[in-house]
Amino acid sequence: MNGLKYNIRIASEGRELVAIDEFRLAKSAINVLLGESGIGKSLISLAIAGLLDPDELNVKINGKSYTAYLRSREAIDIRRSGFFVFQEPSSHLNPLSTLRTQLREGSLTDAPDEERILRKLWQDSALSDVESILDVYPKPYRPSGGEKQRILAAMAFKKMAASAAHARESLFIFDEPTGNLDNNLRNEFLDLLIENFRNQEATIVLITHDYSIISRFVSTYSAVSKNILYRELLLEHGKLRLRDFLPGEYLSWMEKRNKAIHTVKKTETILRLYPHVKVFGRTLSISRDIEGRKHEPLVIRKGAVTYLKAPSGAGKTTIVKIMMGLIKPEKMSMELGSEVYTEETNRNVWAQNVWGKRMTMVFQHADESLNQNSKVKSVFSGLPIAGLMNEQKIVNSISELFEEEPSCGFLETKVKYLSGGQKQRLNLLRSLILHTDILILDEPLNGLDFARVAKVIAMIETKLKSGIGVLVISHNEEVFDTLVAQEDVYYLHHTGVESR
Amino acid sequence: MATRTLTGNSWLSILNSKKDLLWLMTWIAGLGMLWIWDALFLNAPAFARLQTAFLNSLFTGAMVVLFSLALGWFVGVSLHLLENSKSKVGFAVISFITDILRSIPQIIAVLIGYIILTVLLYQGIIRSSFVQLVWIAGTIAVAVFLEVADTIRHRIDYFRTLDFVDAMLCCGIKERRIINIEILWKNSRSHLLHKLIAIFGVSIFLQCSIDFIISVGLSTDVSLINFPTTLGNLLANVDSKQDILALSNLFTEPGYLSVIFVRHLQGLSAAFCIVFSLLCIYMIANGYVRRHKLA
Amino acid sequence: MIDLSSILHKENSSLWTRLLIHGAGIVLMAVIFWIFISAVEISRIESKKSDREIQKYLDLSKIDFGNPLDRALFRESLDVFYNGQTHRNDSLLTAIDNLRQRQFSDPAYKTGGNHDGLTWSMAGKLSGMYLQFLAIYGIVLVIIYLLAQRIAVYRFIKMKQHRESYLTQAFELINSIHADRIGSTWWNAFGKLGFLFLKALLKGMLLMLLFSPAYVIAYSVKTTIDTSSILFMILLGIISNGVLILTANKFFTFLVGESKKGYVQTAVAKNLHASYEWDAPEGIPPRTLLKIKHGFRSHVFQPIFFNARFQFIPALKEHASFLITGLIIIEMALNIQGHFCYELLQQILYRQYDIAAFIIFGIFLTVKVTEIAIDVWEHKEKRKYGY
Repeated sequence: MNGLKYNIRIASEGRELVAIDEFRLAKSAINVLLGESGIGKSLISLAIAGLLDPDELNVKINGKSYTAYLRSREAIDIRRSGFFVFQEPSSHLNPLSTLRTQLREGSLTDAPDEERILRKLWQDSALSDVESILDVYPKPYRPSGGEKQRILAAMAFKKMAASAAHARESLFIFDEPTGNLDNNLRNEFLDLLIENFRNQEATIVLITHDYSIISRFVSTYSAVSKNILYRELLLEHGKLRLRDFLPGEYLSWMEKRNKAIHTVKKTETILRLYPHVKVFGRTLSISRDIEGRKHEPLVIRKGAVTYLKAPSGAGKTTIVKIMMGLIKPEKMSMELGSEVYTEETNRNVWAQNVWGKRMTMVFQHADESLNQNSKVKSVFSGLPIAGLMNEQKIVNSISELFEEEPSCGFLETKVKYLSGGQKQRLNLLRSLILHTDILILDEPLNGLDFARVAKVIAMIETKLKSGIGVLVISHNEEVFDTLVAQEDVYYLHHTGVESR
Repeated sequence: MATRTLTGNSWLSILNSKKDLLWLMTWIAGLGMLWIWDALFLNAPAFARLQTAFLNSLFTGAMVVLFSLALGWFVGVSLHLLENSKSKVGFAVISFITDILRSIPQIIAVLIGYIILTVLLYQGIIRSSFVQLVWIAGTIAVAVFLEVADTIRHRIDYFRTLDFVDAMLCCGIKERRIINIEILWKNSRSHLLHKLIAIFGVSIFLQCSIDFIISVGLSTDVSLINFPTTLGNLLANVDSKQDILALSNLFTEPGYLSVIFVRHLQGLSAAFCIVFSLLCIYMIANGYVRRHKLA
Repeated sequence: MIDLSSILHKENSSLWTRLLIHGAGIVLMAVIFWIFISAVEISRIESKKSDREIQKYLDLSKIDFGNPLDRALFRESLDVFYNGQTHRNDSLLTAIDNLRQRQFSDPAYKTGGNHDGLTWSMAGKLSGMYLQFLAIYGIVLVIIYLLAQRIAVYRFIKMKQHRESYLTQAFELINSIHADRIGSTWWNAFGKLGFLFLKALLKGMLLMLLFSPAYVIAYSVKTTIDTSSILFMILLGIISNGVLILTANKFFTFLVGESKKGYVQTAVAKNLHASYEWDAPEGIPPRTLLKIKHGFRSHVFQPIFFNARFQFIPALKEHASFLITGLIIIEMALNIQGHFCYELLQQILYRQYDIAAFIIFGIFLTVKVTEIAIDVWEHKEKRKYGY
């Protein structure tokens, strides 16, 4: 199998963002690119695809200036025949143009197979259902994040079909294409990807944090497994390196976890959320069965993990925000210990009794949750326990929770200069040191590489021993199903939209 | 024409990337050259008046910036806190008032302030020049502070759309700390400074304009001589007006160019100070936006 | 239950609620002004009545109130007729002195000074001036809106063409002069440097002109051009006070902001034209600056432009308000007789505060109507795009 090799340097205002001596891609293969968030996977991919702005960044590829690279035959072929599916679908669609127009402009104008691709991505829905989405202008909440992501994927597949003749020169990059999709839709996407790959053998890069894709590829697409390569981008001794990731690493870890026996202990209930919550004109209901036949209150117990599952866009984050008192619902009832919280509960009560004292929550995007302009040590200022936190205690907490001593000057570093993994750990630490009764984790494995995933799971298991109750929202079902007893798994459904 | 971008660490590329500092130096240099020219060719009393006028205008502009920041911060943060409170009446009232204030052109608001100042001067309640300048600054600040309040609200609203605020609330960090320190102090200083630079420019413009306008007098008992000397009322001075009028001689007598910058210096210097300062402040603000990537 | 905060948080509120807020503001200000005007009118009537009473004493032919002896005799006469009412007599004398002073110094008592207040004929006269003001404002606003967009687009394209600044070009020329001590290129470089200096000077002067307050420009050409003509006022309204440049700058800021958004990257990935060179095969022909809405098909600039324009509509309110400020300054500072805003200044001088309040209300109404029009326009655009 031929390969592409790149020596890439990317800097901004004199500060090096990415420097890698050898970034390899196998041609006519699916290159699954793994690695923690913020390490440079997207930046490197954008650079190779010729989509970085030379005015904003100082880029050198194989020793040449970026302008020279953009004029090279290779870059021209990549741009002409390839495509890039961006990570954040909301900002990558023109809000003043219908989805249909955007799906058919530029080099996609005469691209074939649109109907087939859309029907596949919409799980063989009736064409009229898909058509109704195409005539909307993309807004923050309509269509959903998953639908927008599928539109971007559809663009890529259309381009693949259109540039079949130039498959060997083309490069298709999918950056976190399944982040907003539930497992069923993710699998539909992967099916389409493999199907197109079989037809054209283009060079594909699939950037993802979802290690469970490995399980899917190995179990379902063994016929093309020799054309699927796993690479991990990691920082070693301060240098960026691309290593071959063996699927066995992940699969054997999962096997061990699956074999571990979870004894179900009946422990004290800390929180009970009654099953019907009305918000934004609709009712969210909770059940223990996937069909939602019998509604039951969601219970969080001491020393146990509760897992809330739902399709993408169903309202998982909304419901946990309601439980935290961040969103005022039209109707809800929750018992936290002996206290009752309803839609009438004043915000001050949440602030005085709950936030940072009884409950805390870790949001999925560390970049948004942390103040990027704060120093690491200032992240802990303002916490209810800030008076107890000196620098030594912070260092001890980092070492204890993540089994590694932070480097000198770490506390003085601004958050924005940390890696994605470091930010995520800091995000977790800020909540963990509060020693609350309940910890809510929203997509805690987002942006972590495999080594960190394993550590976070180990950390959660350790914290459980201290009696904390954990509520998890995650699309990494494969991983969390090994951590959670079946009776602690709940499903969220929305049952009807009321007119306002 | 060359189209490549200059790279590297040369002083030129540094200046190119810090256009706000470049224009600040240009402003100082331009005013410096004017000072030297006037020291050589402008008569001493007029030169003294020009310097006083410039310093008074600068002082008033600085006071406007301080007042606007204080008022704008207070109103912006108050509106946010009132919006989230249980009773919305306070929010409704303040929003309604600010909406009406926004609909009053700035010059009218400043004119009303000057009318009140005229009455206070006439009645002898205000005598000192310093107090007059502070009053003028306060009046202009009332006309422009909403821009600061809007910037503050936009910044708070932007961070509210992210997980930023919710994540900190969940960790027990107090909301007033989140707003004042985490959002405004740590993440919005550049935005606020840019807005204050723009406000400084607007205040110079409004000051000079209103001083010029009221040169006909708002009262027979109070006139320009009762107000402290500023660039605007220096320009409105009859001598200065004559100097500006002399510029139109250049259309019919181009040779007049050789004497105009010596003979008609008071008015031209005042006009140059005003126009050049407005231009430089605008370029500094623009350069600041580019350097800090605020756009 | 009505959610007051979302009504008042303008970004989210519907058109009708915003119109309601505007309407409430207009009604409130109308009531305030009406109360003020009524109070002034009542005070004027009282004052006239009192003046008439006092005038009777001034009309006495035998007394010269400027003569201290006559004043003293008059005072003693009052004490005889109104024995024991010292305070009343003192007040009367003070009132007589005040009236004499006002008749001497108050412009309202001078020839041409109007002391009848807000009469129907005055209101009619002001309405004519107001319509003229509105017409000038409307024309200037439209021209500025169209020109500002084109200036901003031109500036954006120039930025994307990576043209070096004059300073950089000058530095390179100086370097080349320094390197090439003899030869024809030396003079060539000097010539280019001179031309560059001239271009920079002209650009600087143009910027100074655009930033000049209106009165500076007007007084500079007063002896050559009729500065009170409507055409000159329109021209001044467009080029002075920095309005054009600031509006163009705002639009330019939106263009730059939009150009950094993700959908532009998607457009590039779809191979839409991305070159900004004039007349390059995939570039932008200069004539598109004239037909700006339709000139960028199949180019990544098209979504950038339309999104920037969409963002710019609500921002137009603050620029319209600043434009009104500029027009007020022009009319006042240039003392243009028979114009709405100059009339305001005159009425303040004549202490006809009710007429001044009427004019201020008219100006307030202009701003409010502009805000309403822009809100309606914004709403229509949002409806078009499914908001």
